[in-house]
Amino acid sequence: MKIGDLPYVGDPLEEGAEDRVFDSLLLLGPVIVALIAVLGRSALTTGIAIAYLSSFVGYVLYRGVLEGA
Amino acid sequence: MNGAAATIGRDLGRIFQALAGLLFVSLLVPLVWGEYWAMPALFISGLVPFVIGYALTARFQGATQPSKLHGMIIAATGWFCVALFGSLPFLFIAWTLEVGLPFVETPSQTATLAAFTDPLNAVFESMSGFTGTGLTMTDNEEVLPRTLQWWRSFIEWVGGVGVIVLTTAILSRPGSGSLTLYESEARSERIHPSIVSTVQTIWWIFLLFTFVSILLLWVVGMPLWGAINHAMTGLSTGGFSITDNSIATYDSAAIDFALIPIMLLGSIAFPVHYLILQGDLRNFYTDLQTRWVFIYMSAGTVVLTALVYATDTYDTLFTAFRYSSFQFVSAATCAGFQTAVDTTNVALGRWPAQAQLIVAFGMIVGGAAGSTAGGIKLIRSITLLKGIRFRVAEVFYPETAVRRLKINGRRLDEREVRQEFEEAAIISFLWFVFLAAGTFGLLVILPQGEYTLENVIFEVASAQGNVGLSAGITGPESLPTLGKVMFLFNMWIGRLEIIPVLVTLRTILDRGGLYR
Repeated sequence: MKIGDLPYVGDPLEEGAEDRVFDSLLLLGPVIVALIAVLGRSALTTGIAIAYLSSFVGYVLYRGVLEGA
Repeated sequence: MNGAAATIGRDLGRIFQALAGLLFVSLLVPLVWGEYWAMPALFISGLVPFVIGYALTARFQGATQPSKLHGMIIAATGWFCVALFGSLPFLFIAWTLEVGLPFVETPSQTATLAAFTDPLNAVFESMSGFTGTGLTMTDNEEVLPRTLQWWRSFIEWVGGVGVIVLTTAILSRPGSGSLTLYESEARSERIHPSIVSTVQTIWWIFLLFTFVSILLLWVVGMPLWGAINHAMTGLSTGGFSITDNSIATYDSAAIDFALIPIMLLGSIAFPVHYLILQGDLRNFYTDLQTRWVFIYMSAGTVVLTALVYATDTYDTLFTAFRYSSFQFVSAATCAGFQTAVDTTNVALGRWPAQAQLIVAFGMIVGGAAGSTAGGIKLIRSITLLKGIRFRVAEVFYPETAVRRLKINGRRLDEREVRQEFEEAAIISFLWFVFLAAGTFGLLVILPQGEYTLENVIFEVASAQGNVGLSAGITGPESLPTLGKVMFLFNMWIGRLEIIPVLVTLRTILDRGGLYR
């Protein structure tokens, strides 16, 4: 099943930056929030959240540098 | 029934159905938090707009596409009705605790929630939420049920992008007059040629930024529930909080500084976000509005820091910078979060009057057009300044000179300059007329001598700019009924940039035979 097949939210989710990394970050976001809700604050969940944020910022900068070059 | 009413009825029906969807989705919150007693109230709150919306769309299925006039009426009446229906959860949940339920145990009533048994307070809260204002009728947000804490944050989050944008993204299909409606909701920028694709992309960006914001706030120490709610209300520059003292409750410099980029994200236009995500980082400085977001926020922060430090409001330069940067960004992005509160929980209570007026100036100018921020908007302010300079410089050139004005990379000829300047001037003029009228009205309504003039200007600018900072005037008891009704109007016109509301009122008066 593709993301665009989901009822109601499929179309909006299929739009965006048309980039697999950003799409993955969008889909991973609620999963990580749910994980934190279940496991609470720990080194593991903090590490995952930091990795998520670093991936987002890093990838924006990477694309910027790549496009700017 | 004539064609206009059918078109308006059909599109209002769609908006009501989208609203019902938000209410039904929110049923998950009382389920997760075990607030089962709130579920019937929430379900009925969703059922009412769903049934009305379904009836309207079914009845007027074959209606024609909306014209510009229809679009404005749909936007104005749609937002007003959404605020009305959006108040039902406040009203019904408050009354659930007031009268109890036969089969489910309910917690005891609180003074904060009891305020919502008054329908006007409930509508005020809902209008404040959907318009992203953040002025509140609650005394203590912490004692609200989680269901209502969520609903307040959720309506600000949706309202920040726009109710019509939501409806278009979910229920509309290409070629259904979506552009007319989109433009009536104070938006004009396109990301893609198709308006449906544009609004879907806007939601995609908004969702991604929401998760980034939640995790950022959580990493710097905010509890998860607070992070979810404050990320939603910060990004949408709404400013509702789930704590009594807004962000001051956390008393954390890390949280303050983490919220600044979140509010700034909300005040930058979505098409610029799209281009930046596409890798074009130059838009941070090549786009006029985005460049000015940073210049204006930095300048405001520096001036405020200098002012509050020089007047000994804070002991250290760092503390002055921490509170000034947060409060100026919070005001100018129209978020309305508070960190600089005094013992009476009044925004900027310890600050000198001139500092409060600088913050009020930030609220009036607002953020970028095409973002979630309110106020007059940066592009209009810049157009006015450049237009005035263009007119003044005219006398120094020969009459035959061909002159052009450059705004945001566009070279405008005389006719285009006149058109852009006129549009910016009209909105700004109306904005100040309603600000002055609101200030005068509030001065008449409020008890004499209780509030200063700068307090009153601050409060009206906050309501009309959809900001939410309060000088202590807004509250279930402190604001008289007439003042609440007036602020409902200020928030409504502020969100839709005045014109659609005036067009709607003229149409209503025209139909009623009062105008002619």
